[in-house]
Amino acid sequence: MNLKIDKLTKKYSGKVVLDNISLDLKEVQVLALIGASGSGKSTLLRLLSGLESFDSGKIIVNGHDVDSKSDEAYRKKIGFVFQDHNLFPHLSVLENIMLVLEKVHGMKREEALPDVLRVLEQFGLNEHSDKKPHQISGGQGQRASIVRALSIHPELVLLDEPTSSLDPILTHEVLNAVKLLAEDQKDFVIVTHEIGFAKEVADYIVFMDEGGIVEHGTKEMLSNPQSDKLKAFLNKVLTFVNEL
Amino acid sequence: MKKITSFLVALSLYGLLFYVVYTNALEKDLDFTVYNEYYKVIFNGWVTTIMISAVSLVLALIVGLILYLMNESKFKVLNYLSEIHKTIIFGTPLIVIAMIAYFYIGHAFHVKSKFWVGVLTLAFYIGAYIADIYKGAIESIHTNQWQTARMFGFTKYQTYRYVVFPQVITSILPPLAGQFAMTIKSSALLAYMGTSEFLNSMQIVQSVSFRYPEGFLIIAVGYLILTIPLILLVRFLEKKLNYKVSHEFEN
Repeated sequence: MNLKIDKLTKKYSGKVVLDNISLDLKEVQVLALIGASGSGKSTLLRLLSGLESFDSGKIIVNGHDVDSKSDEAYRKKIGFVFQDHNLFPHLSVLENIMLVLEKVHGMKREEALPDVLRVLEQFGLNEHSDKKPHQISGGQGQRASIVRALSIHPELVLLDEPTSSLDPILTHEVLNAVKLLAEDQKDFVIVTHEIGFAKEVADYIVFMDEGGIVEHGTKEMLSNPQSDKLKAFLNKVLTFVNEL
Repeated sequence: MKKITSFLVALSLYGLLFYVVYTNALEKDLDFTVYNEYYKVIFNGWVTTIMISAVSLVLALIVGLILYLMNESKFKVLNYLSEIHKTIIFGTPLIVIAMIAYFYIGHAFHVKSKFWVGVLTLAFYIGAYIADIYKGAIESIHTNQWQTARMFGFTKYQTYRYVVFPQVITSILPPLAGQFAMTIKSSALLAYMGTSEFLNSMQIVQSVSFRYPEGFLIIAVGYLILTIPLILLVRFLEKKLNYKVSHEFEN
């Protein structure tokens, strides 16, 4: 993916959550956004999706000028995985996927079904395809959400802390599913607290703090942090992991 | 078994109350024979009540939807129109509205049929309550679902049609069944318009037979035959829905 962010500012009720940030990346496959809670990384991801508007600046994704007000066509090319799986509760796993393909993308059921079933199998969900979201585990729900995002053959997949509400076993299960995306050469941006995982799959990492980008670079950045803020952040994460 | 025994005991205690009233307040024994002669008038009135209630409810569902959409509209005038209508309805007794509708509004719009004046009055009255039922049910849909639909490129119509409406329909069924029972009971007030529904028909027969207590009993039973199944339906739907909600919550 090519991504250009220029002097981007976003406020919520007058409070600045993204403060004049800029970034210019070319041909990155997996971009990880890391940072403490409230650093603005999830907000940045939502702005990249065109789901929310921003106050000033510019976002250009693969040459496309993102504008939330008139960007239904752009959103149709973006696969989004939310913090909670956000599957529609009245539909089965399969129907959650088919609804998007049939009603939004105008595909015929018989055309779309074989591909969907194949991806469900790839993500270990074929046995659960007829179950409603409340009948499956959080990890299975999150994997179904990834399949739903992939089923539209997106140009870019955005994942917003897909493991934040899961226990360690389910986290491992979902991270394995995300790895499949990387192996399939899918372009994606992931917001994550899993530093080890970011190091393993991402080819570019952006560290954010208090609404700004503090440091960014290839995964080596995590082994040799330059800023005090990133050092402090990594120390905290390592202390937490060691305590576990 | 214990449940049935408890129910029968409760029913007997309630029956005892009526027995006390019967033995102390009535001057002569109950005699329903005179009502047999007028069974056709009574039955026609009863059927008219069912028709008024059914047509009113269908129209009230539409009026409620229009009021809800007006409330959600970006045009402030429509918001206020809906709010003013609901405030007047919530704050005024139905009998007052029925009288005004019968003597003035129907007259002003040249609606001469008592049936239609009654039906429209009930539809606009019940519709105000149904608008709030829609509002509550639609607001119960989590913001995440609206966001997800938007993210995947659903239009507003598609979001309502495929995401919101299928979920809302199950949660509005119990209050709607309750509203239907309420419509049936409220339709009795149309007797004051001279609409030949159940209560009015019974009052006519009472006035010629002078058998008032028997008439009131028939009126009560006539309405209960219609409302008890609806009350049971509300309880059944609530139980089913509560089970579903708690089951989803546990997971």
